[in-house]
Amino acid sequence: MHGMMRAAGIVLAPLVGAILLAGCSAEERDETLRLALQTEPTTLDPAFAVDFSSGRAASLIHSNLVAFDPDARIVPDLAREWEVRDSGREYVFRLGRDAFSNGRRVAAPDVVYSFRRLLDPATVSPRWWLLQGLRGAAAFHGGGAWDEESVDALDDSTVAIRLDRPVPHFLGLLAMPAAGIVCREEVMRLGPAYGRSPCGSGPWKLSAWSESDEISLVPNPGYRGTRTALEGLSFRIIPEQMTQIAEFEVGGLDVLEVPRAELEYWRAAGVSLLWKEELRVVYIGLNTRKSPFDDARVRRAINRAVDVEKIIAHVLFGAGKRSCGTVPPSLRSSPPPPDLYPYDPAGAKALLAEAGLPNGFSMEIWQRENPEAGRVLESVQGYLARVGITVKLVTREWGAFKEAIDQGRPDAFYIDWLADYPDAENFLAPLFHSSNIGGSGNRTGYRSAAVDSLLDAASTCLDAAARAELYRTAESIVYADAPWIFLWFPERYEVVSPQLTGYRIPLIFNGQRFLDVSL
Amino acid sequence: MRGFVVRRLLLLVPILLGVATLTFLLMYVVPGDPVRAIAGERYDEETIARMRSELGLDRPLIVQYVDFLAHLARFDLGVSYVTKRPVAEAIRERFPRTLALAASAMVFAIVCGVAIGALSAWGRHPLLARAFMTASLVGVSMPVFWLGLLLIYLFAIKLQLLPPSGYGGGSLRHLILPAFTLSFASMATIARVTRSGFIDALGEDYVRTARAKGLSERFVLGKHVLRNALIPVVTIVGTDFGSYLSGSVLTESVFGWPGLGRFIVQAILKRDFPVIQGAVLFMAVLFVLVNLVIDLSYGAIDPRIRAREGER
Repeated sequence: MHGMMRAAGIVLAPLVGAILLAGCSAEERDETLRLALQTEPTTLDPAFAVDFSSGRAASLIHSNLVAFDPDARIVPDLAREWEVRDSGREYVFRLGRDAFSNGRRVAAPDVVYSFRRLLDPATVSPRWWLLQGLRGAAAFHGGGAWDEESVDALDDSTVAIRLDRPVPHFLGLLAMPAAGIVCREEVMRLGPAYGRSPCGSGPWKLSAWSESDEISLVPNPGYRGTRTALEGLSFRIIPEQMTQIAEFEVGGLDVLEVPRAELEYWRAAGVSLLWKEELRVVYIGLNTRKSPFDDARVRRAINRAVDVEKIIAHVLFGAGKRSCGTVPPSLRSSPPPPDLYPYDPAGAKALLAEAGLPNGFSMEIWQRENPEAGRVLESVQGYLARVGITVKLVTREWGAFKEAIDQGRPDAFYIDWLADYPDAENFLAPLFHSSNIGGSGNRTGYRSAAVDSLLDAASTCLDAAARAELYRTAESIVYADAPWIFLWFPERYEVVSPQLTGYRIPLIFNGQRFLDVSL
Repeated sequence: MRGFVVRRLLLLVPILLGVATLTFLLMYVVPGDPVRAIAGERYDEETIARMRSELGLDRPLIVQYVDFLAHLARFDLGVSYVTKRPVAEAIRERFPRTLALAASAMVFAIVCGVAIGALSAWGRHPLLARAFMTASLVGVSMPVFWLGLLLIYLFAIKLQLLPPSGYGGGSLRHLILPAFTLSFASMATIARVTRSGFIDALGEDYVRTARAKGLSERFVLGKHVLRNALIPVVTIVGTDFGSYLSGSVLTESVFGWPGLGRFIVQAILKRDFPVIQGAVLFMAVLFVLVNLVIDLSYGAIDPRIRAREGER
């Protein structure tokens, strides 16, 4: 024992020495809000910010014509007011007096430049589609001429946008990160390096980016909206959740997203736990082009065979709501469809027998690398085994996974869909319209003429109630056809440091700009 | 001696060519699509095709390979598909952080490892020896990930002496825990090797002679025993240091340390070919250089090796 102590002493002595040498004074706390990112943004250029981290950061630095508030309502941003004319085919925006972070005032031609850049085939933005409703946009993106009237600077602070046909959720599209207004001369000067030295007119500007370590933002003096009480925002890039928790415990972070497995601990810890439903749906897509998944009875049987409530309770620790349908509760104006798939293994077996598969079959479910997905799918595998379906789980990295599901190769795949804008359309048209089969979102290959025509009708319907009814009907058809194993709408939990006030979890990922927050 | 160094440096050219070719081919054998990985969740096939052609991925493999080698010959590692940032610039930003971590881990490993090994061999105390064997077994087999979390819990959360994670702009306080964690496995190996080297050397004739000459025990241990016991340690230090320099993914992830390890893993997950190729080549060069230095240092420690080198 004495020897053990001595060996430990030798090991620890240099460590203690190093600590003494380094000094152990904690840094002074300033008014900088410190947040964690699990993955580093790849770029801060709105045209290429396609992932969650990049989009969120790019939205703090760039302003759009309109923005989302934490409840995902449209609020003025660069545009202080706007008018909708010509039955939804023309929008006229009047800009405020905001300036880019280089000091130059934002003017209408900047809006023209930014939108044209996004659509320009030479830019090769994967997000060009969000402006495809603009007059002549599709033709321009295909190599045709630019329609000068599609985005029209009427004067220095007025811009008109004209559409081919009405797009009811158009303002939601304009609030997406990719519709951010960029500073033309900086884009020209920096080229691809703009993504690391962005110049926007949003509430924050980039002050430092230490790769894989920290992104620091300070208030943009040119921003004319609500002034923030904070000195800055610091995004620490910390890939490990356990390390994020440690940082939060020692006061190194002001906001912590609580991992689901840790919920019980924080519930018991007596801290105030913030909670929000996410605009996200998690599902297992069934490849409706492949046998036996081309038979709706088989798909319904699979849905009945899985006890989703139990998986939510035990694997998600209750942090989700079972989905009957595809549209998250906060985006609906009517109750969800009645539950068609209660857990019923006997009923599932009967359905399989009716479909000519009394002895079940084998299938593959593909997933991307993700520990939670593994636990969920092992449960699903267990449930399906009980009705005679043998499931093999296949794991691939993100690019290979997407390539396979875009090409419709796997039998089934576990994936989620996160809202780009808060609209039922976003949870139906990309996912189930037959024109979107493949990478556009419909990866199950689902085809229904009835659903297509309902979605087409809704896509130009300006009467909110009628439009909601069209989506509700389309959703009920999809739900009954069961191209997915309907799983859940996840919930997000966060804890914040005691001195933080005014913070709310945003409903949509870019709906929190930290302007009403103080320390 | 100079001829030896020149020969070894010239050998770098075929090694690099081989490494470059292998990584290049490997990229295209493993499944995965860099374009889809960077396109987000909603895109049309036409955009995918356009992105592919912009990155030059639609060209025949042999054209891509020749183009890659041509750029390499001009020391151009290319631009990341994902961040559009020059690969060399990103490596330049990260390498000093990896070097700091690797070097300090090595210092911890050598100082503690040699001390433990030497003391346990010299004392030959049965209890001490057993304690040491157990401790070093734990050291070799303890997962870095778990050790890292334990140290964070103890030093950051409970004692509040050190920050749990981050780079802290290069501050020493942020370096200590990750360096110590990274050093642990090497420390244990070094201790074991030092111990057996020590025991062997203590039984050698020259040690008996030195003692018989009446030299002080301190001189015998320092001059004769330690020096001979250190040869295998240098080999361990060389290989471990070489691998630390290419980044240590687990340690970097646990401590949020922005080094080369995470950089490469991220690039592999996203199939960011230029980054993977650039980083692997950079590591290959480093590895060759570190090994060269190790080979040279054998001569400095053991005069017999120096003499043999001289005969050639």
